[in-house]
Amino acid sequence: MDKDPTILLIDDEPQILRALKTILAANHFKVVLATTGEQGIAMAVAQPPDLIILDLTLPDMDGIAVAEAVREWSRVPIIVLSVRDNEKDKVAALDKGADDYLTKPFGIEELLARVRVALRHSEQAIGNKQSIIKAGPVTVDLARHVATMRGEEIRLTATEFKLLAYLAAHADRVLTHQAILTQVWGFEDFDHVEYLRVYIGQLRKKLEQNPDDPHLILTEPGVGYRFMAGE
Amino acid sequence: MGGLQGRSCPGFGSVQAGSATKCFVRSAPVVVPLSPCPYSQSTLRVGHFVSERSEGSLRKIFRSFACAVLRLRMTQKPPPFFAENGEGRWGEATTGFEPVIRVLQTLALPLGHVAWNAWILAYNGCLVKESPPQESPPLSPQLPRSGLESIHPAIMHILTNPTQNKIIALLLRFLAAILTIAAITLVLQAFQPEWTNQVIVLIYLLPVMLSTVLWGLVPGILAAFLAFLAFNYYYLEPYNTFQVHATQDLILLIIFLIVAVVLAQLIGQARQGERLARSREWEATRMYELISALAPLQDIPAVAQALADRTREAFDCTQVEVATLEKKGDPSITARAPESDSVNLAPTTHIQIDTARENEGELRLWLAEGNLSTEEQRLLAAFASQGALSIERIRLARSEKRSRLLEESDKLKSSLLNSVSHELRTPLAAIKASVSSLRSQTVDWNAPERSELLATIEEETDHLNLLVGNLLDMSRIESGALKPHRTWNALSEIVWGVAGKMRTQLQDHRLEINLPGDLPLVPTDYVMIEQVFINLLSNSIKYAAPGTRIEISTGTDLDFMHVRLANQSPPVPEDHLELIFEKFHRITAADRVTGTGLGLSICKGMIEAHGGKIWAANEPGRFVFHFTLPLTLDGALPNSPREVDNG
Repeated sequence: MDKDPTILLIDDEPQILRALKTILAANHFKVVLATTGEQGIAMAVAQPPDLIILDLTLPDMDGIAVAEAVREWSRVPIIVLSVRDNEKDKVAALDKGADDYLTKPFGIEELLARVRVALRHSEQAIGNKQSIIKAGPVTVDLARHVATMRGEEIRLTATEFKLLAYLAAHADRVLTHQAILTQVWGFEDFDHVEYLRVYIGQLRKKLEQNPDDPHLILTEPGVGYRFMAGE
Repeated sequence: MGGLQGRSCPGFGSVQAGSATKCFVRSAPVVVPLSPCPYSQSTLRVGHFVSERSEGSLRKIFRSFACAVLRLRMTQKPPPFFAENGEGRWGEATTGFEPVIRVLQTLALPLGHVAWNAWILAYNGCLVKESPPQESPPLSPQLPRSGLESIHPAIMHILTNPTQNKIIALLLRFLAAILTIAAITLVLQAFQPEWTNQVIVLIYLLPVMLSTVLWGLVPGILAAFLAFLAFNYYYLEPYNTFQVHATQDLILLIIFLIVAVVLAQLIGQARQGERLARSREWEATRMYELISALAPLQDIPAVAQALADRTREAFDCTQVEVATLEKKGDPSITARAPESDSVNLAPTTHIQIDTARENEGELRLWLAEGNLSTEEQRLLAAFASQGALSIERIRLARSEKRSRLLEESDKLKSSLLNSVSHELRTPLAAIKASVSSLRSQTVDWNAPERSELLATIEEETDHLNLLVGNLLDMSRIESGALKPHRTWNALSEIVWGVAGKMRTQLQDHRLEINLPGDLPLVPTDYVMIEQVFINLLSNSIKYAAPGTRIEISTGTDLDFMHVRLANQSPPVPEDHLELIFEKFHRITAADRVTGTGLGLSICKGMIEAHGGKIWAANEPGRFVFHFTLPLTLDGALPNSPREVDNG
């Protein structure tokens, strides 16, 4: 990277701002602060950042609305911060365009990992769609319709292949149930989570060493799944 | 007219149903008219009187009358018609006079002559007259037709004009009084006994007494005057005139008149007193029934319904409505007896249901005829105030309960504050101590020491986070805001997820997860059930000795998934097994084990929000938490998964 990436931090709590600013600056990020949703949107327009960290509870407007507003004209990655037991809001934010989420309180390693993944993906998105997806030990060849695990071919059904391809293409990022159902099956409603449970279970049996204790396809409680490529 | 069979009759069947059923002869069903003819009571009394002197089937049939008379003595108010249809079933004929006609027809069988029946009814104020045959009501097939041929071909019809009936009845009574005097005079004249006038006078007192007793005060006084005249005419010189010559005779005559009238009056008063006492007794019985019906009731709709039902039984009315006002969270209620959707006409009479403090509603009556007597109005007022008392009692009991709950919740809150302030301060103290030590300039920490202090800070922060989460969960459960967002989840995913998250805490115990591979999906809120497992595991870790085994297993039946979490902690006393799911409940002394005492009650709240149950049990060598989760979501099972279209 030529220069330090800019992160726009939208949060109204001074303690969080103070801590995150210090930590992010120490990790070679340039940090811009906004304390309201409106200010955040204005700053994102005036000085497009490389990434936005957005708190879901803001004094003036809903964090989800901020994500939606930014998404209208920008592909900048957005990571939302939320509290536990607010899965609905997290899912809504993700479905409205946020790229990832973190539950407060979070460890700083986790935050940095998410930030790095989001930045990498936004760089990849600039390039064109690849026909070969590599994610950790898994390689998916879309053109030949072949998936391999550490060089060995995995026998998959059509649905499993499509599901794995989608997960691997978005490795390290959280994918909501709804996003997967829409992308893989084409469902527009939320009524078919059971399909997902069954196929994720099947994929894990074929990919994981211990399907009960998965390391590749992780469950994000109440939100969705995350395919771990291991950075 | 209503069906003759069907529901059991409230007035007749309830108190003496057993004996009444016995009295009625199955082979010879009898329809007993107990209403709307106001004198049916006397009719039955006559029937009873006859039954005492008759034999065989006649006697049997009149036994039933005796039974009915007994019933009437208890209630005074005649219930609607009742009949036994020959199969031992009781029914009610609600309207019309058709059953009375049946009685006449049935009575005709033993008594043999329709005129006799007509006389009995007419005597008792029900005039019977012929009506055209086409008005004959179709007879219920259950009623026996035998004997019907023997009665007068005309169908009886009872006039419904009560005033006319009363006048005719009164005239008949006067006639009876006259006839008694005439009869005694005739007998005395026929036998011409050689008795003194004093004996004759005493003999004349007898019909006077009889008339008063049988037919009332006015016929009695009439009889007294007639006896006075007859005695004067036949037995005082000069004979066969109304003149009196001897002073002695005049005194005798005057004393006779005075004695006869006073006697008649006394008897009449006694009879009236008896009637009054009986009606008081009837009122008291009704009141007693109402009070004992209202006493056990615990909610206002039940009170309204009971009040309506009892009022309907006590008063001669077609419809009763009890309407309560909307108050303090109670919706307004309208209870009707008999139950119906609505009533079109305005009520005949209504009375407010007032407590000492406020109005609670209204009691409305639709009378069968006429208006309420003063006594009935008094009784109705007493009914209304009893209803008001019951409603007030329920409200007071409720507010008492509420204040007790408040008191309890106050106690809980202070207990929570104690527990929370202790639980929250402990990790805070550890964090503060570690951080200030690290910042301290005076000590030079080496690397392992620094890392130890930092680990303490991180662990205690997690612990604080857990505590705050628990408190939030609890307040959400308490306020009813805990709404599980149920979607189809694989239990194994949740269990293994928790096992991964709690790896550090579980390092001293052996966790065994025995889940069958074909476990069905279960509709759950992932985060909540995850929390349940976290809390149950935390509890197990706390109470089970290090190195012991913790086992999670499941089973399914038709409707529920059954999850067991067994640990090797010491058994819990049986009487504590339920209490451990209560807030702040601890078996051991509070200082031995840390925690808010909320974990298990949160589990209970979350499992119950899912429609499942949670309990604990001591089993040989282990302690087991059980909980169930319904396998259906809104009554449906999961869709079987579908392959995507290839392409």
